[in-house]
Amino acid sequence: MASQKPLLSRAIKLAAAYALALIATAFFAFPVFWMSSSSFKSELDISQYPPVWSFAPTFENYAKLASELDAFDAFVNSAVIVGLATTLAMVCGTMAAYALARFDVKGKEVIAFEVLSIRMLPPIVSVIPMFIIARALGIFDTYWLLAAAYGLAGLPFVVWVMRVFIQDIPQSIEEAAMIDGCSRFQTFWRVTLPLLLPGLAATMVIVFMFAWNEFLLASMLTSQNAKTLPVIAANAIKPKAIAWGLASAAGVVMSLPVVVLVLMMQRYLVRGLTLGAVKG
Amino acid sequence: MARSDTKTADKAQRPGEGRIAMLLLAPTMIVMTVVGLYPLLHSLYISLTNYNPTFGGGSSLVWFENYARAFSDPQFWNAVGLTLIFTAVSVTASLVLAVALSVLFNQRHPGFVVLRTIILVPMLITPIAVGITWRVMMMPDLGVLNYLLGLIGIPPQLWASNASTALLSVILVDIWQWTPFMFLIVFAGISSLPKSPFEAAAIDGASPLRAFFSITLPMLKPVIVIATLLRIVDAFRTYDTVYIITRGGPDFATDLVSVYLQRVNFRFFDLGYGSALSWLTLIIVLLVVLIFVRLTGFMKLVADKENR
Repeated sequence: MASQKPLLSRAIKLAAAYALALIATAFFAFPVFWMSSSSFKSELDISQYPPVWSFAPTFENYAKLASELDAFDAFVNSAVIVGLATTLAMVCGTMAAYALARFDVKGKEVIAFEVLSIRMLPPIVSVIPMFIIARALGIFDTYWLLAAAYGLAGLPFVVWVMRVFIQDIPQSIEEAAMIDGCSRFQTFWRVTLPLLLPGLAATMVIVFMFAWNEFLLASMLTSQNAKTLPVIAANAIKPKAIAWGLASAAGVVMSLPVVVLVLMMQRYLVRGLTLGAVKG
Repeated sequence: MARSDTKTADKAQRPGEGRIAMLLLAPTMIVMTVVGLYPLLHSLYISLTNYNPTFGGGSSLVWFENYARAFSDPQFWNAVGLTLIFTAVSVTASLVLAVALSVLFNQRHPGFVVLRTIILVPMLITPIAVGITWRVMMMPDLGVLNYLLGLIGIPPQLWASNASTALLSVILVDIWQWTPFMFLIVFAGISSLPKSPFEAAAIDGASPLRAFFSITLPMLKPVIVIATLLRIVDAFRTYDTVYIITRGGPDFATDLVSVYLQRVNFRFFDLGYGSALSWLTLIIVLLVVLIFVRLTGFMKLVADKENR
């Protein structure tokens, strides 16, 4: 009997742990489930009370995305803008990260912290000058403006995270290649870069996520031609007639790429989000 | 690390390569100057003028008039106060929740990995979609939240439609969205803690609670501080979800700084005044970060980490 008691209390503890974990998961998962299921509901089903849990799924909201919200154009806009921004941030940032990791640069900590300070800058502060400058240059409501803004926002992540990833690669590997006659560039291209690929991919996903999800700058710096997905999704919400099913479908379409990509890169997520400060 | 770093860099750098480093840094510096610094300085200049494009676009220097006006603008200080409350409550709550979840999931029972991954999803959902979803769920008459509350016998709430519960409602949304972020980082910290201090404590007969407060929390401090700092900066700029759910209402109960600034700039086009408010906001954010850094000894933590 003596060994029964700890066994029983262990079983209770185990059950409690599972119960708590399931409750927590339900809290975080329920709104996502509700958004997804709402996106498949017909207009009649979505305004039922009490809410309906089983219904005949319909794709009419997804069909309406293209016809009523111009979602296809917005998807292309988002893809082009985020693609340009990610490329800009990755290329510039990785070059800078390599310099900071491998070269003896004067005041490199100062440079690193200047880059980091971009992460602190609230976008609402730079939106007015960008608006004014863009109108003066005639690039308001074009891809270039948002791509530049998102590229800048991505830089601190790339510089700080890639710097850590580059430092993780032993110096001696590069030295060996250089002794064998490779130039600095050949060494980077043939030796360092292949080793960096997982880190590059992980950092890219984070830059992509922030640019893809951004709304504030996108809503204020576009009007017709360069509207991104979050902007058209917000447009589905009009004060009087709110198309809930349509808005939910837009939410699913927007969020899906990020969820899939980030969960694929989960291993490096912590390091990326903390700008290299915490090892995942 | 910092010192030995310079040494290895010395070794890695070959003669004549000093220029390569500058060349590699140049694109980043150019982007930062053109897209970052220049607009910021431009906005400092605008903040000293009465620029308003709806009045024909002309502007004249008014020096510190906008700033003087800001100090006697009750709307702005209401927004600052609300944002500080919003940030403090949301960040504290999500930190406590994240630590609790990390301890729970660190038990690593079968299936916990799957649940842990599901919990991460809210931080990945586009904030606009988060706003849409919660606005649907919080509808007082048709919303599923009131239905669920009714099942356990709690009377229906007005959520974001009532001035007295609106701020709490948008804070709830923020906690839901960003606890996963804190959880992800704190969990990474907790799962990389060494085992030996806990074994020693168990031999000495310390209760799990005691071990948590005397070993786990102090050892997690660097990770918690970094996660909290990033969260504070982001919570202060919250815009998307509040814009979708309440647009600052009802009765300005959720009028966060970024929502108010959007109104000044893009409804009234009072860009000179808006720029002044932006700069004040920037200064307030910097002050909050500075106070936090001082209180937690953040710089020392970072330096210790480098030396380890």
